[in-house]
Amino acid sequence: MDTANIRNFSIIAHIDHGKSTLADRLLEYTGTLSSREMEEQVLDQMDLERERGITIKAQAVRLEYTAKDGKTYMLNLIDTPGHVDFTYEVSRSLAACEGALLVVDAAQGIEAQTLANVYLALEHDLEIITVINKIDLPSADPDKVKHEIEEVIGLDTADAVLVSAKTGFGVEAVLEAVVTKIPAPKGSADAPLKALIFDSHFDPYKGVIVYVRVMEGRIFPGMKIKMMATDKKFEVNEVGFFRPAQTIVAELGPGQVGFIAASIKNVKDTRVGDTVTDADCPVAEPLPGYRRVTSMVYCGLYPVESTEYESLRDALEKLQLNDASLLFEPETSIALGFGFRCGFLGLLHMDVVKERLEREYNLSLITTAPNVIYHVYKTDGEMIVIENPSRLPTPQEIDHIEEPYVKAMVIVPNDFVGSVMELSQEKRGEFKDMKYLDTTRVMLTYHLPLSEIIYDYFDRLKSSTRGYASLDYELIGYQESNLTKLDIMLNGDPVDALSAIVHCDKALFRGRLLVEKLRGIIPRQMFEIPIQAAIGNKVIARETVRAMRKDVLAKCYGGDISRKRKLLEKQKEGKKRMKQVGNVEIPQEAFMAILKMD
Amino acid sequence: MDKVLDYNSPTNSRTKLGVYIHIPFCRQKCLYCDFPSRADGESSFQDYTAALCREIAGKGGVLSSHVIDSIYFGGGTPTVLPVNNLVRIIDCLCGCAQVASDAEISIEANPGTLNSENSAALHAAGVNRISIGVQAFDDRLLALAGRIHSAAEAVRAVSEAAAGGFDNISVDLMFGLPGQTKVDFETSLRQAVKLPVSHISAYGLKLEEGTPFHRLQAAGELELPDEEEEAAMYDLATDFLPQHGFERYEISNYALAGSECRHNLKYWRYLPYLGLGAAAHSFIAGQRQANVVADCEYIRRIFAGEDAVEYREVPEPAVAIAEYVFLALRTVQGLAFQEFASRFGLSFTDRFAGIIEKLAGDGLIAVERGSVRLTVQGMRFGNIVFASFLPD
Repeated sequence: MDTANIRNFSIIAHIDHGKSTLADRLLEYTGTLSSREMEEQVLDQMDLERERGITIKAQAVRLEYTAKDGKTYMLNLIDTPGHVDFTYEVSRSLAACEGALLVVDAAQGIEAQTLANVYLALEHDLEIITVINKIDLPSADPDKVKHEIEEVIGLDTADAVLVSAKTGFGVEAVLEAVVTKIPAPKGSADAPLKALIFDSHFDPYKGVIVYVRVMEGRIFPGMKIKMMATDKKFEVNEVGFFRPAQTIVAELGPGQVGFIAASIKNVKDTRVGDTVTDADCPVAEPLPGYRRVTSMVYCGLYPVESTEYESLRDALEKLQLNDASLLFEPETSIALGFGFRCGFLGLLHMDVVKERLEREYNLSLITTAPNVIYHVYKTDGEMIVIENPSRLPTPQEIDHIEEPYVKAMVIVPNDFVGSVMELSQEKRGEFKDMKYLDTTRVMLTYHLPLSEIIYDYFDRLKSSTRGYASLDYELIGYQESNLTKLDIMLNGDPVDALSAIVHCDKALFRGRLLVEKLRGIIPRQMFEIPIQAAIGNKVIARETVRAMRKDVLAKCYGGDISRKRKLLEKQKEGKKRMKQVGNVEIPQEAFMAILKMD
Repeated sequence: MDKVLDYNSPTNSRTKLGVYIHIPFCRQKCLYCDFPSRADGESSFQDYTAALCREIAGKGGVLSSHVIDSIYFGGGTPTVLPVNNLVRIIDCLCGCAQVASDAEISIEANPGTLNSENSAALHAAGVNRISIGVQAFDDRLLALAGRIHSAAEAVRAVSEAAAGGFDNISVDLMFGLPGQTKVDFETSLRQAVKLPVSHISAYGLKLEEGTPFHRLQAAGELELPDEEEEAAMYDLATDFLPQHGFERYEISNYALAGSECRHNLKYWRYLPYLGLGAAAHSFIAGQRQANVVADCEYIRRIFAGEDAVEYREVPEPAVAIAEYVFLALRTVQGLAFQEFASRFGLSFTDRFAGIIEKLAGDGLIAVERGSVRLTVQGMRFGNIVFASFLPD
C-alpha cells in the first residue's frame, strides 16, 4: 500500500476520559470487529485491565477506513496506557506514530495526565487532534474545555472534534480528522530496512513477537534481520498486523505497523526502542531510541512458601518477557528468606505485577513496603545506591543521603487549593507555581520527595479534595534530606523486611503509628509478642500483641465431621497467607503496613 | 471395646455400627443454636416418625450387615416427640437390625420436656442413657440464652430421670454465655456434680452464623465474658470436674469411669455410624453422607421413594488421614500409632515427622510410646494442632 494512504496514531488521555471506549468505537465503526465480536475495552486483553478499567499494555490494531474522499486508508491505532506509571509505554507508542488523538472529558476538562501526555506527544513532534469526549453528559461544557486547552496547552481548538464515545456521536468526524490532519508516513520501500521496535510479547509457540513500525524498507518472511543494539540476527518466519487478532500478511512496507515472528527465544534480544534492519544490507545509523525506562519504586517480593522461590523466578522471567520495565534481582532477607528486589515504574505497576504473579502464576507472595532509591554518600567519599532500606550503612559511615524529588502537578478546583497546599507542605513539598486554568480550576506545581508520593500523598490528595484533584509527576533529580532508618523488632528480633527509611522529623511519629498498626495486623498467638520500633539502638515505640488464651472447637459431635474439617481448612488457609518469622506468624499485609497509616 | 474396622470389606462379619437419629424439632429455638431444628413442627411429628421408620426399613442392607451397639437420638430436642413415637422408632430399628443386648441407647432431652412419665416410658423402651441439656443452673443465664426451662426444672429433670430408672445421665453445661462469670460457672459445676449424673459435657459458647446471638454480637448488643474470663471458666472445668471424679476423656467431655459415651466415641475413633432423619450424617465404609436438611423435604423424599441423601463425599486419603488424626487427638487417649498404621498402611511418625517435631516443640502434643496425644496446652489450642495435619 502506498504510504500516502497510511495513518499511524495513538490516543492519549487522562485516566477515565474515555480512551478505551473511543478505541472500541473506532474498531466498531470501521467494521474491524463485528458487533458480535465486540466486547467492552476490546484492546484491554488482560483481565486485570478490564477489571480495573485501565490499560496497562500498549496495543496496536489496524483499521481500514474508506474516507469521504473515496479513498481507503489503513489506520494503525496504537492504544496507550493512561496512568502516570506507564508514561514509558506511552512514549514508546508515540514514537511509532505521526499523530495523536488527545481525548479530554467534556465535563472534567484538562487533568494532570492530559498535560503530561500532551507534552510527550509534542516531544515526539506529533500532530495533535483534540477530541472532546462525553459531550452527552448533562454537565458537559465543551466550550469551557476548549478554552482551557487553548489557555493551558496552547493548542488551537477551532477544529476540535466533539464526540460521545458512549453513543457513537462524532466517531466519523474523528476518523475524517485522522485522515485529513495526520500526515502520512514517509519512507521508501526500496531503502534498506529500518523499523522501530515499540513493544514485544512472548508467545509460547512462536517465540518473541516483536511489534514494529517500519520506517524505511520492507520486511517479509525468509528475510534475515538484525537487531542493531544487540547485534542479534534472525530469520523472519511471519509478519502481520493486529485486527486485533494476529493477521498474517506477505510483507510490511514503509509506514506500516505490525509484528514480526522470527523464532526469537529470548526477549532480551529484542530491546524495545531498538532498530531492526536487514542483516545483509544494514543501515548505518539506528533510529533514535527514546527515554529509557527508569524504575522509580522498589520492593521485595518473597514467596510465602520458600519452596516457591524457583516458581517465582520463572514467573518473573515470564512476566518480564511482556514487560520490559519490570526489573528484578535476587536478594535475601533474614526474615523472609530468598526472594527478589524488584523495580517498578510506580505503585500501580507494582500492584499490577504482584496481582498478575498471584493470579496468573498462582503464587502466594509477601511484598515488602515499596521504597525509592536513595543515594548514600559515605564518609569515605563513596556513593552507594540503596534500593533496600535494610542495606543502609550505619549512621557513622554516612556523610549524607539524597533522595529523589519529583515535580508534581496537581489540578484542583480552587476551593481545595488550601488543603492541597497544606498537604504538600506536610509532605515536605516546595511550592513552585500556581496557575489558574480558568476561573475555578487551579494548577499547582510542587517539588516533592518521591517517597512521600509513594507513602500516601495521592490517597490523601484524593480524600482531601473529595476526589477532584488529579496528579502527575516526573522525576527531577536528587536532593539531600535528613533521613534515618526505622527498624522494627518482633519478639525482640529485628525484622529486616520491615525496615524503612524515613525523614528524621517524622521518625517518631511513624514509628509509633507503625507499631500500633502492626499490633492490629499480627494475629494473637499462643505467646505474647512485643512489637518495637527503633532508631539505631534506641527503642522509640512499643506495643504488645496479647497472648491468645485458647483456640479449640468446643463441640464436635453430631457426626458432621465435614463441617468441622472445613472450619479447620479455613484456619489453615489463613495461616498459609502468613510468613513465619522466627516463631511469630506475620500476615502478608504487615509488610505493607507502613503505607497504610491514616 | 470397639475394634478397628476394615472398611474395604463392609460386609465383614457383623461389624459394629452406631445409629444416629435426628429429631429436628424443639419447643423453642435457643438463641445460640444453629443445629437443624425448628420450633413449630408439631404438625409434622407423625409424618416424621413414619418417615424415619420407612427410612430404617429401606436401610436393610447396611443394617443387616452390622450389629448396632449404639443408638443416639439427637436434635433438636428428641423429647418433644411423644414417647410413643420414640418407642415406635426404637421398635422399628430393633425389628430391622440386630441391636446388641448391651447397646447404648441415648437420648438428648431438654429439662422442660422431661418428666417422670416420659422418663420411665423411655427407660422401659430400652433407652439407657439420657443427656440433659441443662447449659447452666442459673435462671438469669438460661433466660438470656433463650432456654425454655429454669434451673429448678433442670434439677428436677435430672432427679426424675433417675427416678425413672436412668443410671447413666449426662448433663451439658456451657461456659462463655452472655452475662456469665467464672463464679456463675462454678455454681453450675458444683450443682451438676451434686446430682446423680455420670457424665458432664462442658463446652464453650461459639457464635454461629445465622443465629440470633451472632446478629446481636454484630450489632454490639451481646455482652460476652471477656477472653480472660472465658479462659478461666475453661480452666475451671478442666480442674474442677476431675477433682470430683469426672475424668476428662475428650476436649469437652468428662465422665465417671466407664460412663464415657460410646456413641460419641465412635465419631472420634473413626468408627462407622448411620445417620437417620433430616440432616443426619453417616460415615460408613469410608464414605460420609448427609440427608437433606429440611424435615418437610426429607419426609417428601422418603414417601416418594427418593433418596434422602443430599451430600456424599469419600474423603481423599490425605483428607481421611487428617480427619482421623484430628478426631483421635480430641480424645485424651490420643492417637495410637498401631491403629493408625493398620488403618492407613502408613507410619504416623514417618508421615508427619516435621509437623510432630514442631508441635511437640511448641508443647502442644506429647509423643509417648505407641501414641501421641494433646498436652494440656494442646487441648487449649486444639485447632492449631488439628489444622496442621490437613493436606495443603
